[in-house]
Amino acid sequence: MTGLPDPIQQRLGLAPGTPPILALKGVSKYFPGVIANEDVNLEVYPGEIHALLGENGAGKSTLMNIVTGIYKMDAGEVIVGGETRDFASPTDAIEAGIGMVHQHFKLVRAFTVAENVHLGWPDTPKRISRRTLETRTAKLSEELGLAVNPSAVVADISTGEQQRVEILRVLARDAKLLILDEPTAVLTPKEARELFAALRAFTARGNAVIFISHKLDEVMEISNRVTVLRGGRKVATEWTENCTEKSLAQMMVGREIVLTETGERAAPAADVAPCLSLSDVSLTTAQGTVLKNISLDLRPGEILGVAGVAGNGQRELTYVMTGLATPTSGTITLDGADVTQAGARAMAQKGIGHIPEDRLHSGMAPTLSITDNAVLREYSQPPLTRKGWFSPKGATNLAREIAKVAEVMVPDFAMPARNLSGGNQQRLVARREMRIADKILVAAYPSRGLDVGAINTMMRYFVELRDKGVGVLLISEELEELMNFSDRIAVMFHGEIMGIVPTKGADVEEIGLMMGGKRQEAAE
Amino acid sequence: MSTIRLQRMPIAPAKVSFVLRIISVLLALLTTAIVLWATGRDPIALGGKVISSTFGSTFGLEDLSLLLSPLIYCGLAVAVALRIGAWNIGAEGQFNFGAFCAAGIALFVPGPTWLILILMMVAGAIGGALWILIPTLARAYADVSELITTLLMNFVAMLLVYWVATGPWLDPSGMALATTARLPVSVPPVWGIVHWGLPIGIILAFALALFFTYTRWGYEVRIAGANAGAASYAGMPVKTQLIGVMLLSGAIAGLGGMMEVAGTVGRLQGGISNNYGYIGIMVAVLARAAPLGVLATAFFMAVILNGGIILQSQGLTTHTVLAVTGLILLYAAIGDEAAHYKVLRTKTGES
Ligand SMILES: Nc1ncnc2c1ncn2[C@@H]1O[C@H](COP(=O)(O)OP(=O)(O)OP(=O)(O)O)[C@@H](O)[C@H]1O
Ligand SMILES: [Mg+2]
Repeated sequence: MTGLPDPIQQRLGLAPGTPPILALKGVSKYFPGVIANEDVNLEVYPGEIHALLGENGAGKSTLMNIVTGIYKMDAGEVIVGGETRDFASPTDAIEAGIGMVHQHFKLVRAFTVAENVHLGWPDTPKRISRRTLETRTAKLSEELGLAVNPSAVVADISTGEQQRVEILRVLARDAKLLILDEPTAVLTPKEARELFAALRAFTARGNAVIFISHKLDEVMEISNRVTVLRGGRKVATEWTENCTEKSLAQMMVGREIVLTETGERAAPAADVAPCLSLSDVSLTTAQGTVLKNISLDLRPGEILGVAGVAGNGQRELTYVMTGLATPTSGTITLDGADVTQAGARAMAQKGIGHIPEDRLHSGMAPTLSITDNAVLREYSQPPLTRKGWFSPKGATNLAREIAKVAEVMVPDFAMPARNLSGGNQQRLVARREMRIADKILVAAYPSRGLDVGAINTMMRYFVELRDKGVGVLLISEELEELMNFSDRIAVMFHGEIMGIVPTKGADVEEIGLMMGGKRQEAAE
Repeated sequence: MSTIRLQRMPIAPAKVSFVLRIISVLLALLTTAIVLWATGRDPIALGGKVISSTFGSTFGLEDLSLLLSPLIYCGLAVAVALRIGAWNIGAEGQFNFGAFCAAGIALFVPGPTWLILILMMVAGAIGGALWILIPTLARAYADVSELITTLLMNFVAMLLVYWVATGPWLDPSGMALATTARLPVSVPPVWGIVHWGLPIGIILAFALALFFTYTRWGYEVRIAGANAGAASYAGMPVKTQLIGVMLLSGAIAGLGGMMEVAGTVGRLQGGISNNYGYIGIMVAVLARAAPLGVLATAFFMAVILNGGIILQSQGLTTHTVLAVTGLILLYAAIGDEAAHYKVLRTKTGES
């Protein structure tokens, strides 16, 4: 390459010969039975937003964990600002100007925003008052264009705000390179737009961003260049403007992917008796009234979409529908029988699967083995449990079966589930739940963290379940997903249902208005 | 030029942990030896003495076994609670109260020996469970940490036993000042003075190991101990489980107390628990809450304690022994942390 004019700097508007902020040379990382990264080369220049793409388990998070000193590479070189570096910890990396926000946030939930921003920061004075911490945080927040409430406790704030806190934490330490691992998976479209604006302002100051995402439209919108990984190896680095979503998807998978359509089909007759029916259900918790007079019928053989900005009662809706929470008032019936008080176990046994919003905190035990996690729904039935005796071997067999259909490569089923890539965890949970969903599947943001291919496969299964007569409740922030796959769309706002519209002929604008709190015009 | 650096890994490799465990124990013994040597004693001779008097004679082995038995019960008690994420600091109290209940049966209930022994075992276990009941309910329903409550209950149980043994239940023969009369029944011996308490404890450890791996309940406890959120998501009765496991933990300690009073000591007396409950915490932690691991670590602690007794006969104080056990725990903790680190050799700039 030497001797040739280097167009990268030119196209990024940099002085010729500007060195990359970060360069990786031949980086390899092996886990027992897995090639997480092999011979990866990558250069990131000042002023660019560099997207990192790849299927679930392609090695994106691992590669970035190597850069920030969480993992030690087995071969290769990390060059920062022209110097070979081998960070021993994220603290070292941040000192050299590289900060990362992880796929799963690492904030201390019991601490305030200001405390989290200052935690483990050598610049924080040894003795400092709460007030000063908060003023400092407010000042940083303003300077960097990331709105946060310094005195709020992290456990109480929205996911979007938690993420701003994470970014603030990193930027406050003068990072030159910000690494974001699937930052928009948990953001509302509005929050994502604000994040993009902040990122553009950040790179305009001569900094760089590495952006990991499965959302190809966002990658197309925000990035200057893209690097694609497949099976731990780099496939290519391209200028984004030379790519299309389709070409990117193809590079990730290595073959053409055919996106399934739902296929035309007759809408289920409206007079089919509902399988699950909520009537006038309200739920009051310590946070106040989170569900208000919800009446909703889920019919067998339909996909009922739930639209709305996250945090408007969707999670609580899944809780009452799966027996995890008992409504304060109102009744829930399953095939006509009252199940208001049934509880989670009974509901699961009646054939209700639940893909939870927050897999790490409720859907899995990350420290336990993949086997233990995979059998969470079926451990109490034969062949796993007979007369109270549990068969570890039967469990591993079942886990193997689930991993196989979920297309998750598992080198060792005794390995803790947290070693799986984020998307692979989600795949396992989704498969596990689909297996028990004989009647109903409640799926909260099921495509979070999944790659394009996996989303496509999962949606195909949802359609299959629907065709078998299962009622599917699909909660999603992607209106497009809802428009493509659901039969009806219910819109939630502040714990209430603003209206339910048939997807066919639905007016996206009207749905948008309902998401903002406008009630559906009464049908004539 | 290359520099050597340490890197913290998120998980510790099992092999490294194991090796570091052994090293930490050796280091603790070495430290003790150095201290002994510095105070003008001959550590090698003392060590030889400990080993020969422990393993070189039937008496030594019998003494060792008698120490081993309560350590197994207390270690198992703490380990069982740890499996569901609860710290039972109160094995000491449950052991005392179990001994108290069992002694009460022996002293005041007439009947054939076999029946009384069974009743005593039941009473010991129930007594132990009762003694952890309040901390358990407080944890399950009011989210009060069991750490403090179980600890506080220890003092109550200790004082209770002191009081009955010096007061209402004092040996009427006037021969003793601070114990009850010799109990009319005792746990039959299996070997010399070693009674059935030991084999039963070992069987219990195997039973628990089987239980945790091969029963549905064991699976549920594993999930609930790792992530209570996931357990309730799967519809497991998390509270009931917590209560069940903690009561089981108390019952095991209580049974240990019964074996001690009816097998080893023969009378109820103040301080009958002899810190076994506290040492049990160490036993369980060193065994990482694995029941079969408890057998190994309890044996190891028994050797140390027994060594301590022998050292006392050589003119050293009990503090030395406590210091050794403390050192072992300290080094083991350091070793556990160290197992997370990997040594890196980094080449720094050739310039
Ligand atoms: N600590 C670990 N121990 C063993 N295997 C691991 C560990 N961490 C990651 N892996 C494996 O390395 C591979 C790459 O994982 P990585 O998390 O980098 O994927 P990813 O590209 O970030 O995927 P996703 O899009 O699902 O987040 C996976 O097969 C994963 O199971
Ligand atoms: Mg990842």
